[in-house]
Amino acid sequence: MNLEKVVFGFFVVLAATLNFGFFIGDLGNPELHSVYELFAAVVVNLIATVLKFGDRTQMGAVHLATSLVASLQLIAAAVTWTYAANVLTNGVLTAEQTSAVVSLSGGALFANVVSVVLLVVETVSFQRR
Amino acid sequence: MASSPLPQLRPDLSSAGVFLVLRRMRIPLIVLIVIFAVSVLGLSLIPGQDAQGRPDRMGIFASFYFMSYTATTIGFGELPHPFTAAQRMWVTLTIFLSVIGWAYAIGALLSLMQDQAFRQALARRSFSQAVHRMREPFLLLVGYGNATKMLARSLDDMGRRFVVIDHQDTRVSAVELDAYRADAPALLGDARDTALLTLAGLGHGTCEGVVALAGDDETNLDVAMTTSLLRPDLPVIARSSSREVAERMRAFHVQEVVNPLDRFGDHLRILLRSPAAYQLMIWLTSAPGTPPPRRFERLPHGRWVIYGHGRYGDELSSDLRAEGLDVTLVHVAGGSILAGEGDSAHVIESGHVADAVAFVAATPNDTTNLWLVEAARRANPDAFLVALQNRRANAPLFTAIGVDFGLVPAEVIAHEVLARLANPVLMRFLPQVPHQGDKWAADLVDRLVETCGHGTPDLWRIRLSHDEAPALEGRLDGTSLRLDDLLRDPADREHPLGIVPLALLREGERTMTPGGEVLLRAEDQLLLAGRLRDRAALGTTMTEGFTASYVIDGIRVPSSWVWRRFARLDSVGRPR
Repeated sequence: MNLEKVVFGFFVVLAATLNFGFFIGDLGNPELHSVYELFAAVVVNLIATVLKFGDRTQMGAVHLATSLVASLQLIAAAVTWTYAANVLTNGVLTAEQTSAVVSLSGGALFANVVSVVLLVVETVSFQRR
Repeated sequence: MASSPLPQLRPDLSSAGVFLVLRRMRIPLIVLIVIFAVSVLGLSLIPGQDAQGRPDRMGIFASFYFMSYTATTIGFGELPHPFTAAQRMWVTLTIFLSVIGWAYAIGALLSLMQDQAFRQALARRSFSQAVHRMREPFLLLVGYGNATKMLARSLDDMGRRFVVIDHQDTRVSAVELDAYRADAPALLGDARDTALLTLAGLGHGTCEGVVALAGDDETNLDVAMTTSLLRPDLPVIARSSSREVAERMRAFHVQEVVNPLDRFGDHLRILLRSPAAYQLMIWLTSAPGTPPPRRFERLPHGRWVIYGHGRYGDELSSDLRAEGLDVTLVHVAGGSILAGEGDSAHVIESGHVADAVAFVAATPNDTTNLWLVEAARRANPDAFLVALQNRRANAPLFTAIGVDFGLVPAEVIAHEVLARLANPVLMRFLPQVPHQGDKWAADLVDRLVETCGHGTPDLWRIRLSHDEAPALEGRLDGTSLRLDDLLRDPADREHPLGIVPLALLREGERTMTPGGEVLLRAEDQLLLAGRLRDRAALGTTMTEGFTASYVIDGIRVPSSWVWRRFARLDSVGRPR
């Protein structure tokens, strides 16, 4: 067992699960989407991105690319949420604003799923050898 | 480009530095992110109160804002409301945490900048880019010792470009310190590594040759082999200090092998035969603009004593015997007197220096050579003293001790290589020089100084062919055009150009210093010496019909069609 691989897999999967947790639920209902979960998703995604730095293989490059996409989408979601909550309204988001935030995180979720698929493919092909 | 497979290096190396930074910065960056996240989250959860004392939480955005300016030590104060005691406790903790995080990250980055591997990756990257950007022809110089330094200086003076590769750090930095006019990329690394040679431009389209003058034969042999295998189209000049290595190089079709020690004997032979020829030879192979070197007196003929080391001493003595000298050879074991040859007086006595006419100290050790020369001079003050000066820096010592003729291998190499690179024609002329006699050489030196000035003249070759001399067509039947007439000044034909014809090559036959009355024929080849501006003037005579008719016939041909009709001349200025 390689500790580096454990940490790597842990963060990749955790990024996807947190993202999924935030995304799930009625798109326009702000009560179903915890902002703390979004915060956790952003942080874990950033860590996962940094973990993928400096890998010169083709697989590593694609890993890094998907993580960058996910991080960007989540940061965009967080910025949207901050703007909506602090500038446009006073704390409680409208259905329209909520759906914008959640759908952005949905995009990130897709990138995170790709990341997880890559991880699985890598693992499976490693065992075949 | 040769079709041979050359290792592709560029994509690999170009991003190596970036990857190294990213890889090493992983943990510091993650530590920073975690510290930040924990701080922000904690601050947003801890209950606070607003200005009126009502309970209030900061929220993630306000916490993030506060942590951003606190962690970066900007410190706007407690916003949006003054903190409660609980918040202040948490903030105190986060301040220390974030300071540690930043210190760690910046420290890691700085130590990475100091890292040898990282700096080398960066240096290689900028080197490969510099080589890649080369648009002019350039030479690949392997090794940056004394000989290469002299060679590089001359090449730079001639406006040629080069790339240096050496395995010693100090020498690579010396390339930068030597401040050449053109940018000279230098790479630290072992030239035996084919990948590095490729990086240094072996596969580059404008690489025009490889010069391997490294200190050890193995590197030179390896470079010569690599080049002739991967780029058979490139000329290679390699240095070797033994005959076996030279043979192996030749096996790989490396035609130009320079052996400085071997050349010592050759130089002495030429000097023995004709001091003026030697002077001419050294002068013509010097860097551009060098004044003629001093001419030696005739060397004494009689018994010579050679103190040499190993087979090299044998070769030197057989060279001198071939010149009809009586030679006494004394072997100096290991190149060092101290290595058990008995006491010093015995060593000098064993060669019977007292009644010899000349004394040669040719061991590979300068200290030994100096000592030998000094001892020999004491035993026989009248002897002609010759010494091998292995290190160029020791030259003042040899001058001070009063050596009559000293040979510095680095200089010999630089001269030879420069002559081969700059004037391939010269290398066909030079071997003939010693056979022409002392007077011929002395006259030629005087004539060159008189017509071309004190600096080394420019040497070039012309061929009176349709391509090179279209304006002379119709005159080259061997009956009308005299060499003197060709070499008149296009500005004023009463004056000759400052050009000395060194040799005429006609149907495989060579005439040295042809006279002005020689009648030229088509396909004649001439080796000329002169100044650059005269070379350009002769070029005009050879290519412009109007200039040619003025220079050769003294007729000013009108250059416009109308006036030519009036003068009844055709387009090259001959009467219709």
